[in-house]
Amino acid sequence: MIKRLIYILLVIPLLASCGGNSEDQSADIPDSVKNGASSNLVEVSQEVIDDLVQNVSSPIEMAALIKKEGVPFSKNYLSDPDYVDNYNTSFAKAINLGIYGADLGYMNMYDKTGLILSHITAIKKITEDLKIGQFFDFATLKRLSSNNENLDSLMYISTSSFNRMDSYLRENKRSNMSTLMVTGVWIEGLYLATQVAIKSSNDEIKKRIGLQKISLNDLLIVLKVYKSDKNFAELISDFEQIKADFDSIKISVEKGDPTTKEVDGVLMIIQNDIQHVDMPKGQLEKIITTIEKVRNKIIGKQR
Amino acid sequence: MKRNKYLCLIALMAMFSINGFAQCGDELVDDCASDIGSATYLKDFKIQLQKAEKNQPVPVHRVSVVLNAGTTYKFSVCNAPEYEGAAIIQLYDSNRLLGSSLNLQTGKLMKEFMMQCSKTGVYYMFVSFQDGKEGCAAAILSYVDNSK
Repeated sequence: MIKRLIYILLVIPLLASCGGNSEDQSADIPDSVKNGASSNLVEVSQEVIDDLVQNVSSPIEMAALIKKEGVPFSKNYLSDPDYVDNYNTSFAKAINLGIYGADLGYMNMYDKTGLILSHITAIKKITEDLKIGQFFDFATLKRLSSNNENLDSLMYISTSSFNRMDSYLRENKRSNMSTLMVTGVWIEGLYLATQVAIKSSNDEIKKRIGLQKISLNDLLIVLKVYKSDKNFAELISDFEQIKADFDSIKISVEKGDPTTKEVDGVLMIIQNDIQHVDMPKGQLEKIITTIEKVRNKIIGKQR
Repeated sequence: MKRNKYLCLIALMAMFSINGFAQCGDELVDDCASDIGSATYLKDFKIQLQKAEKNQPVPVHRVSVVLNAGTTYKFSVCNAPEYEGAAIIQLYDSNRLLGSSLNLQTGKLMKEFMMQCSKTGVYYMFVSFQDGKEGCAAAILSYVDNSK
């Protein structure tokens, strides 16, 4: 009897880990990708996809820059959490999960805890639909935001939840979903920066917008892995328009040798490269218009 | 008697598996992230490497990250206590070593270091364990707000 119990205890976890959620996973992998129907698919290795997806900055960073430059918070920039019921496909859910995630980072950065409940409720719904709800600790986030307590923990749990969802999706052969999530984070971060740029002529924000050319090129490489799926094809076409606006931006670097110093007992490496971003006159306005158009199309915002 | 032996074995196996995941997984990341001071957590990386084979190079784990100009970053590393290995982080900009958590002159291993970034681009973090020992570590990338 005991021997049988040991056997069952050993076998159950194995079956659980091997069986996984094969049904769930197949639900959101486009058939074209799943079947390997087209020979031009998956030419980019998983390792390269992982690298490229990692190479999109955290949503916190754009929000941090906006705050650092003294720009006040505006809730008008946020995607409406009520739209969540309109997202009926895995494609729409995954990309809008990224958009809500970037908005959550923006709200957290400004300590707008009173506003986040509706956003985390929308995020909870999407993560459950995508079978990644186990990584989103809604109860703790709700408690922290309602009590306006431990804001550092709120920020940490929010950001690490998204990182864990992203890792889980990539490790479980759902890189298409991870790519969409990261794409949503990227475009919303850029949308926030461009909306701020309409109202302020801040050089740092303008420069950071121009430097998104680097991440955009990486994102397009990954998106094209899934180009035979019609939703991805449409998204790629929209992103090609964004790329066309960024093509005229020239980025150059003057190399310098790094130096080091000690700050409060911690080694600090100071990079002495100088990076120049040359954006032709009128180009920022074109970028602002295109980003707004593409982002509003993704969230389903009516004019 | 035999029955007790089996029950002890089951209990040990359960404890081992729970600890194994806890010490070298998300719990290690959470512990490490709680120790970054006033910096803001951005990303984490879990690294687990085998002991180096005899006469073979030390195993290395590579991750790429995009860092933004005008931002100060902190790189922190925490080792799982049940492993002997102590992690070393080396930060590269394409093929140029920018810095490391190991001071080659003193041999001192630092738990964290910072970088004031002046060029937006892809950087590479190489993580290995000192003397090629087996190890598990969590590395945290965080953002330092200089105005704080």
